[in-house]
Amino acid sequence: MSTAAFEFGPGDFERVAIERRTQTLSRPSVSYWQDAWRRLKDNRRALISLWIVIALAFFTLAGPLLWRVDPAAQDLDQVSQAPGLPQVAVIVEPYVPWAGLRATPLAAPAGGPGAAAGAGMPTDAAPTGLRLVEPATTQAVRLAWDPVPGATGYQLYRNIYDTEPDGALGLPVAEILDPAQVSFEDRLDLEAVPYWYSVVALDANGAEADGYVTLRVETSRVISAAEAETLGWIDDAAAVAIGDEIVLPYHPLGTDYLGRDMLSRLMYGARVSLFIGVVAPLLFVVVGIVYGSAAGFIGGRVDQLLMRFADFVVALPFLLFMILFKIAFGIGPGESGIFPMLVALVLLAWPATARLVRGQVLQIREEGYIGASQLLGAKTTYLVLRHMIPNTMGVILVTLTFAVPSVIFTEAFLSFIGMGVAPPTPSWGSMSNEGLRTMLTHPHELIFPAIFISVTVLAFNLLGDGLRDALDVRMRGQE
Amino acid sequence: MFRYTVKRLIQGVITVWFIATATFIAMHSVPGDPLSGERLTNEEIRANLEARYGLDRPLFEQYLIYMGNMTRGDFGISFTQQNRRVNDIIREHFPVSATLGILAVVFAALGGILWGALTALFRNRLPDVVIMFLVILGISVPSFVVAGLSQLGLTSLNALFGVSILPVAGWGTLLHMIVPSLVLGLGTMAFLTRLMRSSMLEIINADFVRTARSKGLPPTRIFLKHQLRNAILPVITVLGPAIAAITTGGFVVELVFAIPGLGRYFVQAVQQLDYTVIMGTTVFYGAFLVFMVILVDLVYGFIDPRVRLE
Amino acid sequence: MSERTVRDGGAPLPGNPRGDASPDRRDGGDSDIAPQRHDEPALLAVDDLHVEFDTYGGVVKAVRGVSFSVRPGKTLAIVGESGCGKSVTVQSIMGLIPMPPGRITSGTAMLDGIDVIHQKVVEGEDIRGSRIGMIFQDPMSSMNPTMTVGDQIAETLEVHRGYTRSQAYARAVELLGMTHIPEPAERAKQYPFVFSGGMLQRAIIAMAIACEPDILIADEPTTALDVTIQAQILDLLDELQATTGMAIILITHNLGVVARLADDVAVMYAGQIVEKGSSEELFHQCAHPYTLGLRAAMPGNDPHREQGLQAIEGTPPDMFDPPRGCSYFARCPHAMRLCEDRLPERFEVSPHHYASCWLQHPASPVEVPGLYRGEGEAA
Ligand SMILES: Nc1ncnc2c1ncn2[C@@H]1O[C@H](COP(=O)(O)OP(=O)(O)O)[C@@H](O)[C@H]1O
Ligand code: SF4
Ligand SMILES: [Mg+2]
Repeated sequence: MSTAAFEFGPGDFERVAIERRTQTLSRPSVSYWQDAWRRLKDNRRALISLWIVIALAFFTLAGPLLWRVDPAAQDLDQVSQAPGLPQVAVIVEPYVPWAGLRATPLAAPAGGPGAAAGAGMPTDAAPTGLRLVEPATTQAVRLAWDPVPGATGYQLYRNIYDTEPDGALGLPVAEILDPAQVSFEDRLDLEAVPYWYSVVALDANGAEADGYVTLRVETSRVISAAEAETLGWIDDAAAVAIGDEIVLPYHPLGTDYLGRDMLSRLMYGARVSLFIGVVAPLLFVVVGIVYGSAAGFIGGRVDQLLMRFADFVVALPFLLFMILFKIAFGIGPGESGIFPMLVALVLLAWPATARLVRGQVLQIREEGYIGASQLLGAKTTYLVLRHMIPNTMGVILVTLTFAVPSVIFTEAFLSFIGMGVAPPTPSWGSMSNEGLRTMLTHPHELIFPAIFISVTVLAFNLLGDGLRDALDVRMRGQE
Repeated sequence: MFRYTVKRLIQGVITVWFIATATFIAMHSVPGDPLSGERLTNEEIRANLEARYGLDRPLFEQYLIYMGNMTRGDFGISFTQQNRRVNDIIREHFPVSATLGILAVVFAALGGILWGALTALFRNRLPDVVIMFLVILGISVPSFVVAGLSQLGLTSLNALFGVSILPVAGWGTLLHMIVPSLVLGLGTMAFLTRLMRSSMLEIINADFVRTARSKGLPPTRIFLKHQLRNAILPVITVLGPAIAAITTGGFVVELVFAIPGLGRYFVQAVQQLDYTVIMGTTVFYGAFLVFMVILVDLVYGFIDPRVRLE
Repeated sequence: MSERTVRDGGAPLPGNPRGDASPDRRDGGDSDIAPQRHDEPALLAVDDLHVEFDTYGGVVKAVRGVSFSVRPGKTLAIVGESGCGKSVTVQSIMGLIPMPPGRITSGTAMLDGIDVIHQKVVEGEDIRGSRIGMIFQDPMSSMNPTMTVGDQIAETLEVHRGYTRSQAYARAVELLGMTHIPEPAERAKQYPFVFSGGMLQRAIIAMAIACEPDILIADEPTTALDVTIQAQILDLLDELQATTGMAIILITHNLGVVARLADDVAVMYAGQIVEKGSSEELFHQCAHPYTLGLRAAMPGNDPHREQGLQAIEGTPPDMFDPPRGCSYFARCPHAMRLCEDRLPERFEVSPHHYASCWLQHPASPVEVPGLYRGEGEAA
């Protein structure tokens, strides 16, 4: 392909002065932090984590202002309440004692299977006809059954889950030693949950038969007007009529084994967990910065000595010393134990930052920004501000972010083994510990604090990852 | 190498001394003493006991006596468990903790290397996404929750089959060890997976891997001889601290699974301020960890020629 | 990893059996150009190569339509400022572009009728390491730190030649000797980190030529080394080319190196070749302002200028959004109005000497001192 001259215009071959040419090459220069922020914003996971962290901060700081329930108040009418809608209670007449049902005891069948000599009752005899005499309420559960031939009495059990073959029948609620008595009224700490009642017949020796009968009973929550007024659920007992429904104090996330409001405890627990989680890293990072830059700037023998000491502290078995130090700094009566935990954390956790900062200082010194002769001059402060801080801030910020989840873990761990905050102060760790005991029957008591710990730790970890990538900090092997 | 080993061992001994001293100081600054727990109203009995345990002497003298005994390998007699020697407590319960810890470390290291390499090779594809999600979960869920949930899982598993497939708690057989060591190693495995992944990703684009490609080596050879071998090195360097984290983290798992390890004795001893048991367990644990870290470093030296020849 | 599809299974180029590199070496005194040399069939012909990278900031168009050919037994130098796409070009040939983020959007590199960009394996053997060897800029990071030097050299022979371990190792020691490493048997047992940079680069050269490749690609082989060592490495390359007859693609941004070693030169700027020709022509009949600028930037090369480095003002263009017209427009001291919007055509200023610059157009009235004006034939 050859070019013909007419393709070109007259001015095409005119010279263009270099000043008139626009340099399209340089993109707008962005500072290190602007660039980092842009990269962080591109990282969806980190951004979501940032929002989670903000939401957690709101939950912790503003939550208790919006949800004004005392985390230590025990609502004994709603113990281990599962999360859900508000509970209602129906107003009923005050409790009237019940005489119970009686029946003529039946004689033992002659020569029944397995009949022991003189015992008169088969060992596998089971009562029949176990029934509710009237609808079960939290005021009373009234049961009756048919008499068992040859029985000398009955043993009653109450369980909160269905009985299994060979399993326990539950809490022994009554032993009736009168064979004519074929009814039972249960008024023991009734809650609005299903119960499984079992009846076992007793033989002539007062021993239990192998057979039993079980009945599932749904209790409905009721209360008398006078009681409701005493508990403060209503203002005036006269204002309500029988059959009215009144709403109980609401626990959206349920209650724990002492009837304390989970939501409120989670909020106050967040205060403890996040407070330690944020303040402890801040403190030990500051200590680490001071120590590390001292070692780095002074150098020589002093540096060697300081760093050797840091090595020793690193070698201390962390959790053992956390426990020891925490005890050593003591908890006075009525204290929460947060302060000793902070001190212990700071005492044990500073060396990592110190090493990091020292390394950075040495590197910057080596790069010649700060000559040895300038160290004592007035320019030092300027040089430190000019070079040290920007170079080190990224690493420190990332360290800080990663320190938060590990401190939250440590707090949870200590509280879990009972070495953390002192009760009744809630923390997510101690709540998990308490929740673990009732895990089988009331899983929400474990699940909620566990979720809060996990989500918080997750958010800070992902945020830390995002920051590390955005700030382009190389810190392999750092926990 | 020999000189290096000797130097590290001497450093280790000094570290153990530091740990012992720090423990001694921390312990004696706790208000009260082991005898204050028992209601000793009688001054005379108290004085007798103090004399018997040497508590009536000046603190520094107590320190010297203790250190002297310790160097002879004698950790003394427990205050709270009458006439039980601390050495016996350790001998009886430490092997349990150590077995649990070592199993957990092995599991964490193998798992971490395997999953890390896998995720790096499948970067941003399904296996990577799935494994990394689990890893993040493993890092974020506290071990006691995992322990509790896995116990719950075991209970329902056993119930489902009607027989005890894996024991829910206790210690003794290999079957007892599986679940607790998995639970204990999980967090570390997740951490090592991440480390291995990032190390592997770095290696994948390393200059020497590019050289290996330019030599026309088959991909499997490049993976095994050039990538894996180098990517494992950073994982090995953190194994020492990982062992420390795992063994001391062990007592939550011991607590949940009712494993008769040393951890619970320590907690108990701290609560009762049982001086000798606290000292014994801490120093022993500390020494174990210090020498494990040294061991890991020495092993590292055999794997990385750069360290070996220095 | 690499695509193994045969994209262009064209007939092999005639008369170029491997290894029969022309034995006649260029003669230092012989400065006139023998035109028929260029008519030899090319050993490796790269045609219209385009490579892109996906990055945070967008798509980097690192190589934009590069074509060149390498003659058997000769040295082609690729020169240009750093970042202009030299490494990406040769790494595309070697299948070393990390994908993702990289992407070869078009182009072929024909070696004996085989497009090595799309077909890495010929007759079950990877052409990398066997027919093309490569050495890199930084010897210290280019070797596996956990394998002995001898093992790393032997590895290539085991894979390509099917040597046993001991055969391969013995040959590795010989190769180390060929690259003038003293006590090769001792050195083979050592790990890379005990080597000095220069020694390691020798070992890497030994590794790259282990299978007697037709082409050795050397990507800035001396940039990371001391000045005195640089000369020794260049001497070694020269010597090995003489004894083995291999062709060399030498990447450098040092025109002094070009003057010393190269038979042919391709000058790259912003992902394109702006001028190419024989080494003599490029030095004596330089036809592109950028080449002129590079020459001026070379210390003590141009007798008409004062000693000292005359760096070209400004920086290369943004490869996210390359200029419409001449990529050198923003920095060219002789730029004209049309240069801004119209991509310069390629002019053959003398036989086999091409330059992409509007100054070569017959209609251009501009006379630039020191710039060679051809007949203005657009190629
Ligand atoms: N892996 C990569 N990812 C993104 N951009 C790359 C990558 N490799 C090279 N580039 C870009 O390609 C361009 C050419 O690079 P290169 O070939 O290394 O230059 P040089 O001529 O100095 O060898 C550069 O602008 C660089 O930013
Ligand atoms: S085309 Fe124009 S801008 Fe480009 S090098 Fe030639 S004269 Fe300069
Ligand atoms: Mg390059």
